[in-house]
Amino acid sequence: MSEIRSTRAPGPRGRVPISDNDHAPARPRSQSRWKTWGPALLFLLPAIVGLLVFRLIPIGWAFALSFTNWRIFNDIEWVGLANYAHILTSPVSREVLGNTLWFTAMYVPGVMVVSVTLAVLLNNSLRSSAFFRGAFFLPYITATVAVTLAWRWIFSTRFGLLNHLLAQVDIDRIAWLADPAWALPAVAIVSVWKDAGFYMILLIAGLQTIDPGVYEAARIDGARAFRRFYAITLPLLSRSLFFVLILALVRSTQTFEITYALTNGGPNRASTTLAFYIYQNAFVHFEMGYASALAYVLCFVIGLITLLNFHLRRRWVHE
Amino acid sequence: MSLKKTALCASALICIAGAAVAQETTLTYMLWSTDQAEIEAGAIAAFEAANPGVTVEVQAMPPSDYWPRVSALAASGDLPDVMAMSSGFVQEWAAAGNLMDLAPLIGDTSLEGYFESAVEIGQIDGAQVAFPQNWVAPVLYYNRTAFDAAGLEYPDADWTWDDFRTAAEALTIDADGDGTPEQYGYWVYGRYAQTDPWVFRNGGRFVNEDGTALEINDEAVNALAFLASIVDDGFAPRPLELEGIRQQDVFGMGLAAMWVDGSWNIDNNRALIGDSFEWGIAQVPMGPDATPETAVAYAWADMLAVTTDSAQTDLAWALVQHLTGPTLTAADFTGGKVPAWSATAMSEEWLGRGQQPDNMELILEIGAQPLYTGFTPNWSAWRGYAAAGSGGLNGELDEVFNGRKSLEDALAAATAYGNDILSR
Repeated sequence: MSEIRSTRAPGPRGRVPISDNDHAPARPRSQSRWKTWGPALLFLLPAIVGLLVFRLIPIGWAFALSFTNWRIFNDIEWVGLANYAHILTSPVSREVLGNTLWFTAMYVPGVMVVSVTLAVLLNNSLRSSAFFRGAFFLPYITATVAVTLAWRWIFSTRFGLLNHLLAQVDIDRIAWLADPAWALPAVAIVSVWKDAGFYMILLIAGLQTIDPGVYEAARIDGARAFRRFYAITLPLLSRSLFFVLILALVRSTQTFEITYALTNGGPNRASTTLAFYIYQNAFVHFEMGYASALAYVLCFVIGLITLLNFHLRRRWVHE
Repeated sequence: MSLKKTALCASALICIAGAAVAQETTLTYMLWSTDQAEIEAGAIAAFEAANPGVTVEVQAMPPSDYWPRVSALAASGDLPDVMAMSSGFVQEWAAAGNLMDLAPLIGDTSLEGYFESAVEIGQIDGAQVAFPQNWVAPVLYYNRTAFDAAGLEYPDADWTWDDFRTAAEALTIDADGDGTPEQYGYWVYGRYAQTDPWVFRNGGRFVNEDGTALEINDEAVNALAFLASIVDDGFAPRPLELEGIRQQDVFGMGLAAMWVDGSWNIDNNRALIGDSFEWGIAQVPMGPDATPETAVAYAWADMLAVTTDSAQTDLAWALVQHLTGPTLTAADFTGGKVPAWSATAMSEEWLGRGQQPDNMELILEIGAQPLYTGFTPNWSAWRGYAAAGSGGLNGELDEVFNGRKSLEDALAAATAYGNDILSR
């Protein structure tokens, strides 16, 4: 390898100016890149390996499996688009997809309204607000199965607290968990109760970025509380609301634990949503190929809804 | 050879032999109950003591974790030497070639000490792929105190379905006249252990002979229609009415005076009822459509299997024998789980003298009859069991009992769903 020498003229004292680029023998470009990126890559390696092994490779593998009839201990057989065709034609899959959309339609507006209300009510400097923020956040960090068991008692047809309260105002008993019309709303109620505190915290953070001077000006102009909420709070909170909306939408399609513990997907699949159906197919019936196809349908649904939201974002989110 | 060389050679041989003796053999054993693992700990220790150098590595977990775990191990060819096997899964696992045929290992060993019908449950296509540890059967639980109060005779082997209906009506009591009985005559929902005994005792079948398709016969339809009529007539609550109460507690809470479910509920009944009322067990009455050829008892077994991944099958079979034979005592079986080793089952201790019910022999009588399980591959999916319990036939029958669907429509939907699953 020929040595590359400096072509610069000697300096005033006859010395060659010192420059990393010019003075040292030039390294091959790959070696230079390694020096720059190597340590970073080494530090990132555990995360990259984890991401590959536990996320990306399984995601890719699941996609491949969705074209097979793998049932864990049978030979993997390629079935093409049969699983997807079955999902589209099976009345059960259609019912489950319908349930998922119905749950989303109840959960997302419900959790948005409740969390916005809580955030607005608790966005002040009162000492009691700190207590209530903690109290409303508590369900989010409480073990789902434990609280759901309490809710099973609340919803119990004959001995439940809710029906007891309804009886005080002459409303007939409702079979919350055993009536197909009420089972999914019951799951939505518990889900909203559990998650609203988390979204409330996000929205309070958003509320605290709004300049109090804007409210002051509105007050001087005679705007009442509802007007201030409608004309100031909502528009200026729209970026936080958009974030919460996306989170709630994604979460609504992934509901599992509450369904599992509260209704087990019943009665007669009336509260079986896509995530629970995937679990049943994968880990109860061991239909891994079919469950993988369902998972990709779920992925597609989430992607579609999110895309739609980003498209509609410019209409209502104030940048 | 010099003396020194001889001594060296002898020392080397001793070392090699010593190493061989000291070499540990590990036998792996997986089961779906941590309680059962605790119960068997003494028996496992006795096995290790009787087989020096053998260590049994036990892994126990709940059923919801067990089946996914062993399925993954099957896929990777790393199944334990011995695994617990359910009657509901044995066909599927045998068909997948995961279970060793024990017949060559059994050889000339006498199986006389075991309940023959329980041993037969582990036979699939002529191969003994699993061996019973205990077995269970649905029974009719009845509240003797309520029967006495209503002036009724206790159920016996001659009871007909009409007798049952008459008793259910007489035992339904709405003392305060608010339209909701404080005590119903009976309690049923779509669960396999509650409806299927009636179906099979009427000669009914859900599936064809080779278990490849749902073909619900007339006897089965008639049995289910009979149960639906009991609910429709108000002698049993609609399942939605008792939602939120553990189904196995309804009888013990005194909300229903009769109930059909598995014999393993005896333990729960004993704990829940205590001395608050007297109760007994009876056979599910024989149905009007049953013939000597079609009338069967419904029972199934919890079994142990040696897997085809085991490299030490003789030792594995020895462990299976040890855990299914006389080593376990009656105290090792919770009430209503019948030891497969008949001498243990017939012991005074298992028969639970001095406890309710006072006629545990009845379960042994059921086991002596021709048995039928009705299990097929994917049974839990089409029947609607455990985590899939809200769907399948279970979910459809609940719709019938809740008065929201006709039996005809429900069975048509269940058949279509089941055959879709069985055809995959």
